[in-house]
Amino acid sequence: MGVVTANLPRIAIRAQGSEEKFYRLLDELLEACKEGLLYRIERLKGVKAKVAPILYMEGAAGSRLQAEDAIDHLLENGRASISLGYIGIHETMMALYGKSIFEDEVLPAKGLQIVKYLSRKTAEWKEETGYGFSLYSTPAESLCYRFCKLDEEKFGVIPGVTDKGYYTNSFHLDVNKKVTPFEKIEFEQVYPQYANGGFITYCEFDSLVHNPEALEAVWDYAYERVPYFGTNTPTDKCLECGYEGEFEATNSGFKCPNCGNSNPKTSSVIRRCCGYLSEPSQRPFNAGKQKEVLSRVKHM
Amino acid sequence: MPMYIADYKKFDVINGKGLRHSLFTSGCTHHCKGCFNAATWNFNYGTPYTKELEDRIIADLNMLDVKIAGLSILGGEPFQNVEGLSPLISRVRRECPGKDIWIWSGYTFEEIVADAHKLKLLSDCDVLIDGKFMLEERNLKLKWRGSNNQRVIHIQESLRAGQAISYE
Repeated sequence: MGVVTANLPRIAIRAQGSEEKFYRLLDELLEACKEGLLYRIERLKGVKAKVAPILYMEGAAGSRLQAEDAIDHLLENGRASISLGYIGIHETMMALYGKSIFEDEVLPAKGLQIVKYLSRKTAEWKEETGYGFSLYSTPAESLCYRFCKLDEEKFGVIPGVTDKGYYTNSFHLDVNKKVTPFEKIEFEQVYPQYANGGFITYCEFDSLVHNPEALEAVWDYAYERVPYFGTNTPTDKCLECGYEGEFEATNSGFKCPNCGNSNPKTSSVIRRCCGYLSEPSQRPFNAGKQKEVLSRVKHM
Repeated sequence: MPMYIADYKKFDVINGKGLRHSLFTSGCTHHCKGCFNAATWNFNYGTPYTKELEDRIIADLNMLDVKIAGLSILGGEPFQNVEGLSPLISRVRRECPGKDIWIWSGYTFEEIVADAHKLKLLSDCDVLIDGKFMLEERNLKLKWRGSNNQRVIHIQESLRAGQAISYE
């Protein structure tokens, strides 16, 4: 039934280093999120089956209704998810403690503690309302930019928090952190069990068309540890010079490293963004997501 | 003279098949034009090889969580560090069952086989990428090597056959 995403970095900034204040503000924020989510449910009441015949009239959502029937009861008893999302555990740690979560002994537990807290809240709401509240690790395809921009306008440029132009996907390790795929998986593997509304872990690679065995070793490692894993390897093509490999991400788009071509009509550039494959040369990311893509490092 | 190490790379996906660890030895007299690693011509480049590094390489090859295919030895010219490398390669053979050893050289297979000293080292390895890098033969599309004259050789089959047999 949809998502409302909590801007965790914002309340971390407002908490001014006080964990206690952070959790107080978090409670307030979560009340607002809950209200927003209940509003979404409210808006769906009285919707008729004919709006989505495959879902409601042909059985995809579990029963075959008549065109004019209301769908309300199909959304009850936890049968349709309604999700609380969250963004920027990385920036939240930077704002609250002034340190990167990855370079500290204590912070990994602090980050996880927040996500567990959110998870408990959604479980309580589910218990209380009967609706399928879940916790969603928001990938924030465009929100990564919007929240960061709003906070930069409100609070100014804060190093490591609002200065990058984007907030990081849910619990993900900073995209700019140079680690091995194994370290990234190890860091992120503790979160998915609390994010029952969705999540992904992914790693970035150079082209490995000549060495699929190496990719297999990474997958084998991931298979034992995370439920959803993606490996990004470049498959870009220049239709002007014939180059195959990886286009350079620039602030204004994507450029062939061989001939400099940046015409979207003669470029094939595919990126995984938030779990989906997209062609940003045809339909550009927003400014924040483009900066995030520019900041990504290869994990191998 | 002790062997010097230019670099040790854990989780290398470029040099050889599968996920590997790579050791770059220092010192090479071939001085190929266009060499990708000219700093390592100097036999004293980098850091001296130590027992600690050797133990680390063995442990890294045998790590349980991640399937490591084997060890890659590049340079410099590994076959100008035969004494330094022999103990490591023997230990990998003894202590790391199932791991293969790939080795790069500016010498050709035939030149190595003709030198008993170098042959001993070669016979403990699995795959040889041989021959000098030739700038005029440079080809970026090749796997694991830089120029058309270089070969990827299956060492054990080649030793049995008495001639160079290609790995793939």
